[in-house]
Amino acid sequence: MSALAAFSEAARETRRTWHRRASLATAAFAVAAFAPFVFGDSRLADLAGGLYLAVAATGLAFAVGVGGLPSLAQGAFVAAGAVVSARLLQVGAPTVVAAPLGAVTGAASAALVALLFVRLPRAGLAAATWIVAWLVATALGSLGWFFGGTEGLVVTAGPSPAGHYELALALTALAGVGFAALARSPLGLGLAAARDRQAAAAACGLPVQRLRVTAFAVSGAAAGLAGALGVELAGIGDPSQYGPYLSFKLFVVVLVGGAVAPLGATAGVIVLGILSIAAEAIGSVENVAHARSHALLAAIMLLGVVSLGWDGLVRPVRRRFPLGRQSRTDAPERRGLTARNLIKRYGVVAAVDDVSLTLEAGTVTALVGPNGSGKTTVLRLLADAVRPDAGTIEHDGVARTLQATAVFPTMTALEHLLAAAGPERRHGGLVRSLFATPKARAEEAEFVAAARTSLERAGVPPDTAASDLPVGEQRLLMVLTAAASGATTLLVDEPSAGASPTDAERIVATLAHLRDDGRAILVVEHNLGVVERIADRVVELDGGRIVETS
Amino acid sequence: MALALQILASGFAAGAVYGLVGVGHSVVFRLTGVVHFAFGELIALGVFTTLLVAAGSGPVSQTSVGGGRFLIALLIGLVVTAAASAGSYFLAIEPYRARGSTIGWVAASLAVAFTVRTLLVVFFDRPAYVFPDPLPFGVWRLGGATIQQRSLVVAGAALVLAAIGAWLLTRTRFGRALEAIAQDFDAARVVGLPVTRLVGVAFALAGAWAGLAAILAAPSAAFDVDAAARYGLYGLLAAVIVWFEPRRALVVGVAIGLIQATVTSAHVGSSELGPAYRDVIPFVLGLGLLAFRARRTTEAVE
Repeated sequence: MSALAAFSEAARETRRTWHRRASLATAAFAVAAFAPFVFGDSRLADLAGGLYLAVAATGLAFAVGVGGLPSLAQGAFVAAGAVVSARLLQVGAPTVVAAPLGAVTGAASAALVALLFVRLPRAGLAAATWIVAWLVATALGSLGWFFGGTEGLVVTAGPSPAGHYELALALTALAGVGFAALARSPLGLGLAAARDRQAAAAACGLPVQRLRVTAFAVSGAAAGLAGALGVELAGIGDPSQYGPYLSFKLFVVVLVGGAVAPLGATAGVIVLGILSIAAEAIGSVENVAHARSHALLAAIMLLGVVSLGWDGLVRPVRRRFPLGRQSRTDAPERRGLTARNLIKRYGVVAAVDDVSLTLEAGTVTALVGPNGSGKTTVLRLLADAVRPDAGTIEHDGVARTLQATAVFPTMTALEHLLAAAGPERRHGGLVRSLFATPKARAEEAEFVAAARTSLERAGVPPDTAASDLPVGEQRLLMVLTAAASGATTLLVDEPSAGASPTDAERIVATLAHLRDDGRAILVVEHNLGVVERIADRVVELDGGRIVETS
Repeated sequence: MALALQILASGFAAGAVYGLVGVGHSVVFRLTGVVHFAFGELIALGVFTTLLVAAGSGPVSQTSVGGGRFLIALLIGLVVTAAASAGSYFLAIEPYRARGSTIGWVAASLAVAFTVRTLLVVFFDRPAYVFPDPLPFGVWRLGGATIQQRSLVVAGAALVLAAIGAWLLTRTRFGRALEAIAQDFDAARVVGLPVTRLVGVAFALAGAWAGLAAILAAPSAAFDVDAAARYGLYGLLAAVIVWFEPRRALVVGVAIGLIQATVTSAHVGSSELGPAYRDVIPFVLGLGLLAFRARRTTEAVE
């Protein structure tokens, strides 16, 4: 495809997905670009500082809103960018070198924090990142060699306040566009799935921890860039500016503005800016320092927002995906799974005792047995969810559905399948998604078309939120989501549980279709009617051992 | 030897307070699954309320307040802390906990923390305050070591408070009810326990307990809101490292105090780390241990 054709295709897609709010935002940014003709240097510097804050907050919104990660160390990542940039500027490095390296430092430090702590439950992650915020603030203030101690680091002046303002405005707009692009990318969809139900996302084969580390890195890059440019704007790296209050303030603007909308954080900064003016007025009347009344108002505002259960100023617009003309062929290569001599004990109880099983490609195997016979444990062993005490498992990719009905309630049916298919995308990486390259868009269109075909064939409405589907269709969606992961083997736990007889029929038909596509399928099912209709082979389990195969 | 004794005495006193705050964090977390980020600020509220009632917001010397007045001030300070702790739970945290919104309760508890903090800073605007001491203690000189008697009293009092807390949690109906809630919040409600009220009382007691220890320790050095926030933070560090197990949190809290005292005072040959690293090193060590714990964690709950 020539460059001209690629641009024209991109323009057509942009026109198709354009909405009124995008027009308003574009107009607002265009008008804001003329501010240097109206305001003096001092006010422009304040505005630029606010916009850099919006860049850092947009990064945080990606982690908090899309990933559901309670990161309280965003201020520390801003500081990381500021430290590196200040040191580089002091030795004469230009802005074009210092700022990107600040962003890289922010991304690296955030990725490191995520690598260390992202496996913790969310409460633990919040606690760990809050302690990191305090550690960095303490180190900046007390270790003089690190950031100049309490006096800070003086840096040479870079662009004028007007230059900083225009740069900050452009970066804020780009951060919003980047947020929107990444939120609908495989990364964003995978993060949203893990945010809604981590276990179900992992069962579909999504690399949850890696996605979360990437989300932290993206968030840290925005923070580091904001810190690097902010320190140059201020002319001094002042350690007191990077205390835990900065992390708190960023969290406030994200929640006040709306964590799941691309420009929510920017809206939050605007609200905080207006409050700042109010704080100045109150402070002058009450003879209270501006910084104190500002912090108090921010805290009270957040208390109000959270007490009222408000979702933020800017609500997200439902994402629109390309219609896609050519569906990809999603039939996997014909491979199955072989398990040999599996043993799993819990204390003295052998939940699985010397189980060997082969799942042939293009067949459905039903695993039956009374409650407590070890069916779900076998399923979990085959899915690598628990490690066997002994035995081996060979496969080329397994996806599983959970016993409980576990859809991602904030996502549509189509988004379920796209999220699960994320790891299959060859051109859906971070950079390609961010810049929406022709290959990334073409591939996305193919995957969307395939997902729509799959959903429509099963009779599940693609654009309906999963939480609005009846239970039977939710269970059908779980099967389709697991299949969309591209895994050659599907492990399906009680697919018809809670489904009406009609929905059970639809589930049987869908499983048959997936079998005919060449997948190896293992079904754990209590409904013997379903087993009879779908199973090519039945394996009976009792007391953790295979007692009969037919 | 003399230095070791000094480190042991001062480190144990500070650490016992951290440990007690850690126990408070642990009790709250086990009951609700919530990390109470405002704990330190609520302790500050108790300390400054006591200070306000005992001596006003003007200048105060350590000996300018009588015992009777201090006792009343202490009582009021504890009541305010307990009420604020329970109030923050009912008004800000519980609605989000009930909905399972982690981001919501994190935001709510941080908002409480910063509201209390900024209110205190508005009313108590000097950089640091001397806290009145109704029972002035002297020093012991023990073979070249100078040991503040207060350090031992604070450590002892904190341990007694911890023991009373342990008795309350394990030997009383109230404690058994809390244990039932910690095991299964919904099941406890189903069997008829007044879960919300009991959790509110636990929040109040945890706040008052830690506040009392902090008030006892406050005359040891100049006090400000940041100092109280650090009590909360070190308590959190102690609790989260052992994943909110109250007894271990107490031990880790003491260990943090000892590490701090060692970092501040100890010399290795001619070199010393000094006070600049007093906070940095415990944070780094604590985060290292927490990262080690995280490697063994699998959250995938089905």
